[in-house]
Amino acid sequence: MTAIIEINELRKSYKSSTALDGVTLRVERGEIFGIAGPNGAGKTTLVECVSGLRQADGGTLRVLGLDPRTDRRVLLQRIGAQLQEAALPDALKVGEALRMYASFYDKPADWRAVMDEWGLADRKGVRFANLSGGWKQRLFIALALVGNPELVMLDELTTGLDPAARRTTWGLIRAMRERGVTVVLVTHFMDEAEALCDRLAVIDHGHVIAEGTPRELIAKAGSDSLENAYFTLTERTEAV
Amino acid sequence: MKGITQVVTVELKLIVRDPMSAFFALVFPVIMLWVKLRGGDKPLPGGTPLIDATVPMLIIFVVGLAALVVLPATLAHYRERRVLKRLRVTPASPTMLFGAQWAAHMLLAVLGSALIIAIGAVAYGLNAPGHLLGVLVAWLLSALSLGAIGLLLGAVAPTGRAATVIGLSLFFPMVFLSGAVIPRESMSGSMRAVGDLLPMAPAVQAIRDGWAGGVASPITLGIMVAISIVAGSVALRAFRW
Repeated sequence: MTAIIEINELRKSYKSSTALDGVTLRVERGEIFGIAGPNGAGKTTLVECVSGLRQADGGTLRVLGLDPRTDRRVLLQRIGAQLQEAALPDALKVGEALRMYASFYDKPADWRAVMDEWGLADRKGVRFANLSGGWKQRLFIALALVGNPELVMLDELTTGLDPAARRTTWGLIRAMRERGVTVVLVTHFMDEAEALCDRLAVIDHGHVIAEGTPRELIAKAGSDSLENAYFTLTERTEAV
Repeated sequence: MKGITQVVTVELKLIVRDPMSAFFALVFPVIMLWVKLRGGDKPLPGGTPLIDATVPMLIIFVVGLAALVVLPATLAHYRERRVLKRLRVTPASPTMLFGAQWAAHMLLAVLGSALIIAIGAVAYGLNAPGHLLGVLVAWLLSALSLGAIGLLLGAVAPTGRAATVIGLSLFFPMVFLSGAVIPRESMSGSMRAVGDLLPMAPAVQAIRDGWAGGVASPITLGIMVAISIVAGSVALRAFRW
């Protein structure tokens, strides 16, 4: 089985810092793959390279068998993404957003079906600005799926949500996997990674410092939870 | 260009839902018309009735307001609010977004032009254009050339407020010096010389020529084509999501 994302020794430097210092990863079709790590570890840069928004300086990268640098337009037809803090116009209504986003794709999903499936039908006529945080995230998930993608990238989707909305969002992400969509989830929260991810990579200083199932990472660190394993692995525990 | 009709439709709905800037773009020229014609419809030096000069002038005023002020403010506001950032990870292309923003804002300018013409005809006895095709070509090239400049501003301005301030500071000197507010016949030679260097001058020239029954010179029309191509392609290159 071919990997949906294959990353080999990927490097990316900015003027004053190195964001990716030789990252190697494989994401298999149909899994929820987590990317965790402290702020500034290179998570967002990695997701942006995979989506074709940034050009890596070195290494190789294949997404759905395509090179995001040269096949960006084809790739964007086949992936969905919700990157950090992206938004919609305040006065845009839920149904209009889904309909407009569907129109960008060659083979979109039926936007009305997506709206029903993700529980947005009752809010079809609600303006973006009037949606609560949880409903905004639900709309973003629906927008990421309206192009009928094989791969969805979610960057810190649950940051800023209250605990109940986070739990609901987890259910939605699991439901995506059940529909056969591969999900790459960038997250700060280890409880989230433990609950959702089939496998995850912990990134720090532009390196993958650990990769595996949550259980494997816990065993590797000799911890009792993924949260403790994460702190052991990143060595960021402060003396109490 | 997939999705362009959807984006135009959505943009028009958003304009209707937040109608302040559109209202300004439609009402301001009407007030200008009333101010200019307050003293009656006297002929200008050269014999053109004031109303037959003022209506085409204010049509360019409307096109300029929509193209140089409202359009860039919309695009820059989308940048500021990270609306463009979300669109960047879809197949929507900058060319399509530019086309859609241009079309939506120029539909606003069509409405503004129609309003000025209707009021001019009903209240001030406006004469029909002498050369309708000439007027239509002049309108379209004005919309393309001023629209391309507006897209260039909207492609790079960091915030809606910045785009509005820069847009207004392009718009006002242009309308006054290019003969969109003061008829060229009434302007001093030096003012006209400065105005002729501005990209709005050929727009005013061409539409007034058409209204008077002639056709603008190929140079006048060619300058507008050139501005459209140059400003449009620079805007596409400079575009930041």
